[in-house]
Amino acid sequence: MNKTIIAVDGLRKRFGRTVALDGMSFTVQPGRVTGFVGPNGAGKTTTMRVILGLDAPDSGTALIGGQPYRALRRPLCHVGSLLDAGALQPSRTARNHLLWLAHSQGLTARRVDEVLEGAGLTTVARRRAGGFSLGMRQRLGLAAALLGDPPVLVLDEPFNGMDPEGIIWMRGFLKTLAAQGRAVLVSSHLMSELQDTADHVVVVGRGRVIADASVVQLLAATANGRVTLRTDSARAATVLADAGGTVAAAGVGVLSVSGLATDAVVALMNANGIGFSEVSAHRATLEEAYLELTRDAVEFKAVSR
Amino acid sequence: MIGALRSEWTKLRTSPGTIWLLLAVVVATVAVSAAAVAGTTCRWGGCDVDPARLALTGVQLGQAVAAILAVLVIGGEYGTGMHRITLTAVPRRGVVLVAKAVVVSAVIVAASAAAVAGSLLATRPLLRRNGLPALSMDDGGAVRAAVGSVLYLTLVALLALGVATAVRHSAAAIGAVLGLLYLFPIMAQAVSDEKWQRYLTKLGPMTAGLTIQATKHLTELPIAPWKGLGVLAVWSVGCLLAGGALLVRRDA
Amino acid sequence: MRALIQAEWTKFRTVPGWVIGMAIGGVLIVAFGLLPGIQGSCGQPGSGSECVLPVGPEGQEVSDGFMFVHRPLSGDGSITARVASMTGMLPPGPNDDKMREGVAPWAKAGLLIKDGTTQGSAYAAVMLTGAHGVRLQHNFVHDKAGKPGPPGSARWLRLTRTKEKITAEESADGTTWTTVGTVTLAGLPQTVQIGLFVTSPQHAEGANESLGSFGSYGGPTMATAVFDHVTPVGSLTGTRIGGPANKYADELGGFEETGEGVFTITGTGDIAPAVGGPAGIGASISDTLLGTFAGLIMVVVISTMFVTAEYRRGMMRTTLAASPRRGRVLVAKAAVVGAVSFVVGVLAAAVVITLGQKVLRDNGAYVHLASTATELRVIVGTGVLLGVTAMLAVGLGALLRRGTTAVTVAIVTTALPYLLVMSVLPPTAGQWLLRIAPAAAFSMQQSLVEYEQVANLYLPVDGYFPLSPLAGGAVLAGWAVAALVAAACFLRRRDA
Repeated sequence: MNKTIIAVDGLRKRFGRTVALDGMSFTVQPGRVTGFVGPNGAGKTTTMRVILGLDAPDSGTALIGGQPYRALRRPLCHVGSLLDAGALQPSRTARNHLLWLAHSQGLTARRVDEVLEGAGLTTVARRRAGGFSLGMRQRLGLAAALLGDPPVLVLDEPFNGMDPEGIIWMRGFLKTLAAQGRAVLVSSHLMSELQDTADHVVVVGRGRVIADASVVQLLAATANGRVTLRTDSARAATVLADAGGTVAAAGVGVLSVSGLATDAVVALMNANGIGFSEVSAHRATLEEAYLELTRDAVEFKAVSR
Repeated sequence: MIGALRSEWTKLRTSPGTIWLLLAVVVATVAVSAAAVAGTTCRWGGCDVDPARLALTGVQLGQAVAAILAVLVIGGEYGTGMHRITLTAVPRRGVVLVAKAVVVSAVIVAASAAAVAGSLLATRPLLRRNGLPALSMDDGGAVRAAVGSVLYLTLVALLALGVATAVRHSAAAIGAVLGLLYLFPIMAQAVSDEKWQRYLTKLGPMTAGLTIQATKHLTELPIAPWKGLGVLAVWSVGCLLAGGALLVRRDA
Repeated sequence: MRALIQAEWTKFRTVPGWVIGMAIGGVLIVAFGLLPGIQGSCGQPGSGSECVLPVGPEGQEVSDGFMFVHRPLSGDGSITARVASMTGMLPPGPNDDKMREGVAPWAKAGLLIKDGTTQGSAYAAVMLTGAHGVRLQHNFVHDKAGKPGPPGSARWLRLTRTKEKITAEESADGTTWTTVGTVTLAGLPQTVQIGLFVTSPQHAEGANESLGSFGSYGGPTMATAVFDHVTPVGSLTGTRIGGPANKYADELGGFEETGEGVFTITGTGDIAPAVGGPAGIGASISDTLLGTFAGLIMVVVISTMFVTAEYRRGMMRTTLAASPRRGRVLVAKAAVVGAVSFVVGVLAAAVVITLGQKVLRDNGAYVHLASTATELRVIVGTGVLLGVTAMLAVGLGALLRRGTTAVTVAIVTTALPYLLVMSVLPPTAGQWLLRIAPAAAFSMQQSLVEYEQVANLYLPVDGYFPLSPLAGGAVLAGWAVAALVAAACFLRRRDA
């Protein structure tokens, strides 16, 4: 796991009195989707802009394959990016939009047609991009990002404005890209969008990294071994408490137990002859994990206002 | 660099406004030139008019259209946020500006050559009809006026490109460019002190630059023709450098 | 409607760029107005006061230069003479280098009663002119025509004083007399100067009617008149009064008594209100407002963007959702930028008019006097000019929607005609254009008065506009209304 392809190290940047980046550091590895999550204003877009050489940090570095973005010779063949799908000249056709981008990298028109097909835009290729729906613009933006067949993709809020069908398509698409061995960095302010998509998440708040972990680790940490037990017996709580568990009622005939593993709970019930209808280990959602992690950041914000 | 050039050329070519603006440069220039010559009579027998200057009057309107084109080349991108895509595709920002300058120059040279040639052709019979001195292309001065007018329009476009790069907003940029161009001659006319008049004329991008059209009374001009065009060139290069410096330094 | 205007005002003032831009517009007007040395000067720059003009009895600045062959007259009395012939010299044409023979149209030879020989003192005169027949003029600004008669023909003239009344008569043969008119010179003292005078004004002529190289040329002229049958006969003294301080004055002013009651008198100068322009001197208060154009361009750009920015950001949809009556939105926008621009114009002009004159005078330039009423009109006029132009720009912005196009069209319609008039167009075409273009409203800044009896090229370049201030303002207002009405129609029909 040391094939780091994006290395962000100690980025700091302020806009006037606002601190946008406050020592942002993380890395992105190839072959997986890295989610880049945090509340609005956490510095996600600024970080991506710094990675893409659009904004200059006050200090710190952002390297792609060991090089700053501005030093790349044909950057779109190294990094594909989608920052703002609306950033198009509305009167230009989709194909011509990709064509000038292709020409800037020394690519041919044939490559343009390939990516148009890949994004499912062939039928509308000669229509003015200004008339596209938001979802179609997102597809066009993705097509532009894939133009140079880059090993790295940097996508800022690609789920924004997509309908449920589009979100499902996008999730599949991102996973496919990662499976092809690419590094995919996807920002979002909604962790739920990244559920089942991201392999790794970098959670940020107030310009710095709060958590940088694999999704599995993150969930395990959040779930904290809680077990849900469904039983009518009034003795169950006492037995579990005596065995060292912390028990809370979670509804009529439902107990939430922490501090005891699932099989330990089952063993205790059986040993004491208590009947139960269901035992399940609680599965935390990514959303819960995220909320737990960012709570401090958000709270601090609310107080400081 | 070649990639950036091709890319900017594709961009300009596929922007539907470009061809209309180029046509407008030609039409505006020829129409105003023709109207100017048609409306000119000599009250005095000598008829001291400078036929080259007169036959190329339309450049004064044509330059506004050329400036719009140049402003939109960069301002249009800032208006939509597309400049970020451009700068991720070509991160060396100086190269982007140079590429834009080259393609803008190329199309403006072509359009203004057509505009100047059209003006000279259209005004030829009108000059004769009004008894004004004819314009002969054997004459070095007339050739200088014609070639110089093409260069003038190109330099105005480059000036506009530089201003738009610095200002990042099309409407504000075109306002600044037209203000810069038109204010000097208006000021120079309003000032009654001759010393200041000559000074303003020498300094203004339009007033100095248009001396390239003069073929008569060269010694009385506040500034010699090529020198005058040089003043405009300094303005253009200055604006491009300022715009370029800001482009390189600023966050996109 | 009030809420709408308040909303638009909030929109305007909360964009710092627009507020700053408007302020810069005002600052530009002031800066150009006070820029030391940028203004005209009278003859040579410096502290010389050679061109301080005499002021006539009615408060106007006047030219008062002529050759006067006179004697004192105590109490009532009269003088009669025949102007036998008038000849003269005109300045060289553009292709000549010598003065040409010819009588200036407003060359004057005749009889004069004047309250002493001080410049600017009260007078009444009856005269034969180069091309305008016999005239009775008094106190510089009043002019009454007698019989036209062919130029160059001899004419008998008589001037009679009865207390404060002066009666002028003319005759072709010396026997049949017609009265030209009677004028009253209030407060005329017991003793006045009475006699013969000759003068010939500064000449100005358009060098050629061409685009690109319009120039005026001109210079002093001179006239020589032979008077005979001068009665009563008596000893007359010659005095050169005023006149341009140049080489011609010494050469040309003079008189000779060639026989009994026969005088040949040569003079140059004029007895008339002072004017600016090619035949005049000095600057006017309007000249201090040359920065108006810079301010105007600023105002036009901001006003246009005030509308087009909404289209660009799609905010127009929000605006129209908040107030679906689209015409009213437009009116509110126009009212807000119009008012802001008006205030900017008035404030800037007030500063410039007050301080600019002082700067000019300190530079040794001569500034024509203007009455307080005129100053106020010029100040308010500048505000109206900016305000209404801003409204025109709002209309154009709503009509064209795209910022770049709208700003260009707005600048080209407001600035380019003015520029062409000032720099390129022949005067006739220029005056025509200034009757129909929005720039007609610059007449609201005119402070100089045009006099029919003063030969001059009254050109826009020198601050003389073809339309009156009110009419000029109306032309601009017409443009603004047309643009706003068209925009309102489009706005109602189009999808936002």
